[in-house]
Amino acid sequence: MLHGTLDALILKTLTWGVRHGYGIARWIEETTEAAVVVEEGSLYPALYRMERRGWIDAEWGTSELGRKAKFYRITPKGRRQLAADTEQWTRFAAGVSKILLPT
Amino acid sequence: MKFGRQLRSRFWRPRVDEEVDAELEFHVEMRARELVERGMSPKAARDEAIARFVNIARVGETCRALGKQRDNEMRRTEYFSELSQDVRFACRQLLRNPGFSAIAVITLALGIGATAAIFSAVHSVVLRPLPFPNSNRLLSVYEVYRGGNGNVSAGNYTDGVEPVRAFEAVTAVQYSSFNISGRGDAERVIGARATAGFFNVFPMAPARGRVFTRDEDQPGRERVVVLSHRLWTRRFGADASILGREIVLNDRTYEIIGVMPPAFDLTADNEELWVPIAFTPERKAMHDEHYLQIYASLAPGATAAQALAELASNAEPIRKNFPRDASSLSFTAVPMLQDLVFNYSTRLYTLLGAVGFVLLIACGNVANLLLARGAARSSELAIRSALGAGRARITRQLLTESIVLSIVAAALGLGLAAFGIRALVAAAPAGVPRLDQTTVDLTVLAFTLLLSLVSAVLFGLAPAWRAARVDVQTAIKQGGRGAAMGGVRDRLRTGLIVAEIAVALLLLVGAGLLIRSSLAMQRLNPGFDPQGVLSARISLPAATYSDRATIVETLHRLAEAAARIPGVTSAAISTQVPMAPGGNGNGLVPEGKTPEPANLISSRLRIITPGYLEAMRIPVLKGRGLTDADRRGALKVMVVSQALAEAAFPGQDPIGKRIGCCERGPDKNTPDYKTIVGVTADVRSRGMGEAPSPEFYLPTDQVPPEAWTWIQNTVYIVVRTDLDPAVMTNPIRGVVRDIAPGVPVFNVSTMEQRLRNSMAAAKFNTLLLSLLGAVGLVLSSVGIYGVIAYFVTRRTQEIGVRMALGASRRDVVRLVFRQAAWPIALGIALGLVASALLTRVLSNQLVGVSPYDPMTFVGMVIALALVAFGASLIPASRAAALDPTKALNR
Repeated sequence: MLHGTLDALILKTLTWGVRHGYGIARWIEETTEAAVVVEEGSLYPALYRMERRGWIDAEWGTSELGRKAKFYRITPKGRRQLAADTEQWTRFAAGVSKILLPT
Repeated sequence: MKFGRQLRSRFWRPRVDEEVDAELEFHVEMRARELVERGMSPKAARDEAIARFVNIARVGETCRALGKQRDNEMRRTEYFSELSQDVRFACRQLLRNPGFSAIAVITLALGIGATAAIFSAVHSVVLRPLPFPNSNRLLSVYEVYRGGNGNVSAGNYTDGVEPVRAFEAVTAVQYSSFNISGRGDAERVIGARATAGFFNVFPMAPARGRVFTRDEDQPGRERVVVLSHRLWTRRFGADASILGREIVLNDRTYEIIGVMPPAFDLTADNEELWVPIAFTPERKAMHDEHYLQIYASLAPGATAAQALAELASNAEPIRKNFPRDASSLSFTAVPMLQDLVFNYSTRLYTLLGAVGFVLLIACGNVANLLLARGAARSSELAIRSALGAGRARITRQLLTESIVLSIVAAALGLGLAAFGIRALVAAAPAGVPRLDQTTVDLTVLAFTLLLSLVSAVLFGLAPAWRAARVDVQTAIKQGGRGAAMGGVRDRLRTGLIVAEIAVALLLLVGAGLLIRSSLAMQRLNPGFDPQGVLSARISLPAATYSDRATIVETLHRLAEAAARIPGVTSAAISTQVPMAPGGNGNGLVPEGKTPEPANLISSRLRIITPGYLEAMRIPVLKGRGLTDADRRGALKVMVVSQALAEAAFPGQDPIGKRIGCCERGPDKNTPDYKTIVGVTADVRSRGMGEAPSPEFYLPTDQVPPEAWTWIQNTVYIVVRTDLDPAVMTNPIRGVVRDIAPGVPVFNVSTMEQRLRNSMAAAKFNTLLLSLLGAVGLVLSSVGIYGVIAYFVTRRTQEIGVRMALGASRRDVVRLVFRQAAWPIALGIALGLVASALLTRVLSNQLVGVSPYDPMTFVGMVIALALVAFGASLIPASRAAALDPTKALNR
């Protein structure tokens, strides 16, 4: 996965609601129809890093199956970061498309 | 969100390790469940879920590290946000009670400012290293002479000190004065003749040009001079093209080869130029004549002990080879800085201690103010406590208030210190090394900050701790009267008063002793009559005045011409006058004793023309003074002081007895003996604070030619007049211009002025300590007033009841006084003990007064008791004036 994209995907996921780590991974996989596979080895360090930066916020709660789980929520700072990431992605994708798409 | 994070961190915060483990385990379980649903066996599903992490241990590790950083940052943010809350709250509190805040800040600012001012002087004079990279390796080397440190002879330096391998560099210095002539007025400056090693011992690059080399430190090649920055700017107008020019020093021309930077300022001698000393081979072989100051720099890695051991082993062959001049030679070495400031460090530390005590009293007062306010705030604090603030949290809040108070006071105090330093430097006696460089620098700033924090804890901790220990229910019910903990608080407040009184008494006793000593000093007889006498110094350049006859003839002509000045009643020449620099000392042997060191009486030499004793009115107790008849070829005579007579011939009549001195006799083996013809009263030549030392007077005509070298041809002209002696300055300059043209007159001063100067240091110390004592007294009486007034307010109702039941106003006053009496008495008792223990540090500053002088102790106890009871009189009379009905209705 391209560098920085995972952060943006996680933030975007969290704009739809509070989720725990597994939930985030599943949501991304389902939404992209498994085109994007989130590696667990990258997911959790990314979550802790973003929590430290204050982009997301975590709270312990009860999962849908009655287990204690750590739930993440996006912060206003995270939303600003997501906007910046999205814009950067758009520009990047447009650039790449100009080269790859015309035959 | 921020609030949420803070809340969570405060109420429920799993340790990071558990947090990560639980989170990853949850993920594994969820993934395994998903895989089982897709048809895997539970075991395989779990293995697969873990395998997806690739290395789950590493992932956990990374997360834990990140999580810990997150928690640390959060704690820090939280801490600073609480701190800024506390500080803002503290500022609001202080502004809400401007009266309280102003009194507390001013009290503290005085204490902190005074302490910072004295500290900066101590720092500048005593603590600051010398401005050289090797400053902590610099030593002064001395010969041990009669248990003291004496100067070193050229021979002993060459054979004993120079070869020491533990020294990286070593130098021998002779401080002397130089007549600068040519181009402008003749002028007299202090300079140093030094070996070439001088600029290695004190390594600093010259601002211009170069310093002199080993080659130039040779006889015949030594006509080069390095100027100080001060001399270069003052006399030569900071002329950039000065290098290579010639100046005339003591009638010899020297080439200017360098100028040192302003920071090159070594000693209290404040020398202004340096020339090579250029020892001749004869000089290097001379083991007598001890006139050199030796400085050395230890080699890196070498220790002072190694240097001392080498010095000791080098001394041994010298003692053997020169039994006559060096039979008892031994060397010693002391750190140069300590050597330079030793005389001042005790005094300065005493002052610092005294000012520290004043600060303690100030802290005591502020603590009392805070206690009173803590009582007033008890309901506010109780509410905060009820809302969940712990005792530690409230203590922290209150301490923050103290620190804010203290820092504001420190800022104000620094301003006061800057003024104080200027006043201190201006008022201080001359000659305290490096005092003039005192400034508020970074060290002083850091010290002041530290001082304010320590003060804040001193005055703030106990009140904060007490105030935080509130019983919520009572405090709220009582609506802020805060009597719940009254008893305990009273004990604390009374304890503070006891301590303040004890410290104030200590300060007063110290000041009292110094005042008594000053008075005693003024009553001492100096041994001469300073009134109406002017003395001025001249130095005849050796190049022009080289032979004995010329020197003596010139001196006689000067004395005669000075005596002819209208208004002068008597005039004379002496190589030394009391309380003035210069002079020479000799070891004397009474006839009949062998000239071994144990028999030598170290005495101060005065070579005089006959009128000197008369001009100074030094009484001749026995025999006669010197006359014109005591000339060359006549019987060799001397006049001795009483101290010398008693040391040489105890219990005998000294007249007619002989003392050997100053040169070898005709047979070359015994000293030359001089017959005592008179005994004078003792003169306190070194200052009123010091006991008179043995002195002897020789006639100018009869001294050996070397004697003029010892004193470097430098003498004082002394005139006595019935007029104001200061008006004789110009006539004396005229006389010198006529008889010794081009020779500058310097160090002109009336003897009364010299006497005053000699007592200036003692007076300055007395003044400062008295001021501190007075401030301590005022502050502690304010403290007593505050506590007694508080006591009266708290017991208003009780007093009302007593009055209603028939107590008279006098009874009420007695009640209040009784409350005041015991802390005052206890404080005085403790203060007496502390004084008895601590006044010893003053003992070497005291003249004619014991450090346990009962008069001073009793006097100060009475003074303090009077002031303390006076301070409680105001609240007592207020209590007596209470209207019982109103008091009861409160």
